Amino acid sequence: MTLTRRTVNKLVLGAGLAVPYGFSRSAVAQPKPGDELVVGIWGGAQERIVKEHVEKPLVERYGCKVSYVLGGTVERRARAYAERGRPSFDVIYLNIFESRKAVRDGVTQAPTPAVGNYEQLYPVARQGGYGVAFNPCTIVYDRRKASAPVTSWKDMWKPEWQGRIAWPLLGGTEGIAALTMTARAWGGDEHNIDIAFEKLEELQPLAAIQSSQAQLFEMFDQGICDLSVEFGSFTRTYAETRNPNIEIASPEEGQALAMNVACITEGTPNQKLAEEWVDLHLSEPCMLAYAREVYYSPTVSNITIPEDLKPKLVVGEEVDRLIDFDWDVINANLNRWQARFDREIAG
Amino acid sequence: MSRWIGPALAAPVTLLLLLAFAAPMLVVVMLSLHELSDPFGPLLQRPSLTQFVTIATDPFYLGVLGETVLLGLGVTAVTILLSYPLAYWLARMPVRWRPLAFSAILVPLLTNVVVRSLGIILLLAPGGLINTATGLVGLPPMRNMLFTHGAVAVALAQVFMPFMVLALYDSLQNTSPRVHEAAQSLGASPAVRFLTVDLPLSLPGLRAGIVMVFLMSTTAYVSATMLGGKKVWTTGMLVVQEAIHYLNAPMASALALVMTAIGLAFTGLIAWLVGRMMPWTAGRPGRPLTLPRGLLAAIDLLGPSLARLLLAMALALLLLPLVLVCVQSFNDVPQATASGFRGFTLRWYEAVLSGGVYTDSFWVSVQLAAASTTAGLALALPAAFALARHPFRGRSALLAFWLLPLSLPGVAIGVGMLRLLQIYVAIPPFLGLMAVHVVLMLPFAITLLTASVATLDRAQEEAAASLGAGPGRTFLLVTLPALAPGLFAAGVVGGLLSFGEVTVTSFLTTARLTTLPVRIYAESSFSLEPTVHAISTLLIVLTVVALFLIGRAVRLDRLYAR
Repeated sequence: MTLTRRTVNKLVLGAGLAVPYGFSRSAVAQPKPGDELVVGIWGGAQERIVKEHVEKPLVERYGCKVSYVLGGTVERRARAYAERGRPSFDVIYLNIFESRKAVRDGVTQAPTPAVGNYEQLYPVARQGGYGVAFNPCTIVYDRRKASAPVTSWKDMWKPEWQGRIAWPLLGGTEGIAALTMTARAWGGDEHNIDIAFEKLEELQPLAAIQSSQAQLFEMFDQGICDLSVEFGSFTRTYAETRNPNIEIASPEEGQALAMNVACITEGTPNQKLAEEWVDLHLSEPCMLAYAREVYYSPTVSNITIPEDLKPKLVVGEEVDRLIDFDWDVINANLNRWQARFDREIAG
Repeated sequence: MSRWIGPALAAPVTLLLLLAFAAPMLVVVMLSLHELSDPFGPLLQRPSLTQFVTIATDPFYLGVLGETVLLGLGVTAVTILLSYPLAYWLARMPVRWRPLAFSAILVPLLTNVVVRSLGIILLLAPGGLINTATGLVGLPPMRNMLFTHGAVAVALAQVFMPFMVLALYDSLQNTSPRVHEAAQSLGASPAVRFLTVDLPLSLPGLRAGIVMVFLMSTTAYVSATMLGGKKVWTTGMLVVQEAIHYLNAPMASALALVMTAIGLAFTGLIAWLVGRMMPWTAGRPGRPLTLPRGLLAAIDLLGPSLARLLLAMALALLLLPLVLVCVQSFNDVPQATASGFRGFTLRWYEAVLSGGVYTDSFWVSVQLAAASTTAGLALALPAAFALARHPFRGRSALLAFWLLPLSLPGVAIGVGMLRLLQIYVAIPPFLGLMAVHVVLMLPFAITLLTASVATLDRAQEEAAASLGAGPGRTFLLVTLPALAPGLFAAGVVGGLLSFGEVTVTSFLTTARLTTLPVRIYAESSFSLEPTVHAISTLLIVLTVVALFLIGRAVRLDRLYAR
């Protein structure tokens, strides 16, 4: 083969383009056997699944060690913020709004194609880190108490639910989703939230304020409430194992996008291992294990989902119909909304 | 020379608290003076009282503070009422059975606070045990028991009653049988004797108990969150919410400090009130107590049955939720809160015992509790002697400092520690956690041991000395055995506090050092499975067996010593 001037030019140009990426990557140390990756994740089923489907292959490949700090996202986040720049975690799992804020605050890294499965991620899952599970929020209710199936977020204002709603606390994703979807259903949105508070006032007295799914399911079991806003995934497990009367609504306005996000900390000494960890989390065996065990929907599009699971998950075009909020606006106003919620609604 | 004994004995505790507690406390004070919340801003800023002004002018914060104090007072009152019969029953229990009877109050303490609250839910729920029982006799179900102030008060009383019982037990146990004989020979019935002799003599224990229960119940938040359903707000919940949900450390710190101030004021008030009721400790004669004849008759008539009723209620409150936890551990349901038995299974036990993660955490917790308790007692005992026997100037101020960790909500220490995390990670994690646990148990150990040292019979030590024993021998052979119940109580409370601590530990835990409560708490952050009930059941069985064996091997009582 003869090298034409043109080919040489192309090669030089290509090399020149490749240099910045390769140069920046060369700073990343390659994993050595014995390196320790510290992962902050929830306990229970989550810990079990990643141990089996992420830790095992990672350890096989690199001879590294994986340690876990277990807990909820709020403690993890508080700690990651305190350690910004000198993290004791390499990978932390956060929820959708915490993860986007953490990237803005310089606590965790924005996603990059250095993670192999990055290209397969749905676009909404490429924000605030690497989305690892879609877990939308919607209305869940006791179908025996409904005159007709719930098809709109506005249906919560039907007289049959008066005094029977357990509203989610405005601290977690469910509470934000409930408040913002209320605003959107009644003509407002996250920029104009007043309408939601006004409409929420009409629902008073609420049966209860629920601060966790466990508490909500207890309330359903005990007949304290008949309707709430919750993650569809957990509610499905609850409906299948404990309470077949619980229905998970698909409102016409859409379900609220919620997502668990794997975030690599800014300043981690184990950059490559952390990227490989996230890549393995996005692999088919891990995604399917999550889908099967806790009905978390995959965030990558290259997964073959068994037919029996499809109706229980959010897949393909359904992902595009999920409602994503302007989380920057929400994060900027959340403390103010929470203060108002504590005083006007929950207090 | 002798005037240096007090300060010398008080020095070790003070030193540890300065190192491990004063630093985060100082951070909390500095944070509370920040005008705005900025997680990455410098710690040292121009001081501003904005946060305190906000608290003082916001009806919401003031309302929650008032609600919390009322809740604390209510819980303390209920606890006193239920603890006296129980402590009296324990103190009169035949020695053989005492260890088993003790397990009734120790087992609830060993059970994780999340799990205990679940037990209360299973008790009070519309489909729970109480309603099932009342349903059998044809009463309509009470649907409104959960998610109320009452439910939170019941849960807190269950959690903190053991502390009150232990404090009272030591005082009641110390009353010499001769005093009882004297009262009896002067014509007092058992009920009247309790009111006129045992009650006044147990005041030091009562004071310790009131302070502990009030401070702990006003800073608690796990039970309040789980059983209050956000219809009940406590300052502890507010501090957690501001600190870690809203990342508003200045407001959390300010609220924590306000709570600390209220706690200190309450401690002072109680000390003053109880002191006035015990003139004899200052060498003044007590006022003679005369009860009208009619009242005496009523006391004799109602006293015994009332005492029995209260004892039954106390035992039921302590144990029923735990029985439900045990039952739930065999329940074939996916979530820990599901009431109603669906089918028998052993899979939760299988999950606990296989894989090793729970056993690893269990051992971490046991080692941490053992090491912290030993260190805590070794530090608290000299301090107790300093307080009870070697008065020195500034003693009261020092005592207030020693008791501060009790009135500062645990999470506030966590917030302070978070800011110091960079320094903290330089210390070996086990030592660091141990230091924090010792700090948290010191107020209890000091209060309980001071009460014990104050009630020591000095005549015995003098007798030993006059018979030729040196100070060391007297201490080992006379003083220490006489202090055994107090040391036991303080050790048990300290060990259990360390074993169950989750608020501060969860901030400081590292990947290789996860304690059992942190693991349980972590599971509850995702989805609580009945594995937590299985762990608790195993711990309950283990405790009962251990206490039984301990009771056989060593004598924990000293009735025979008098």
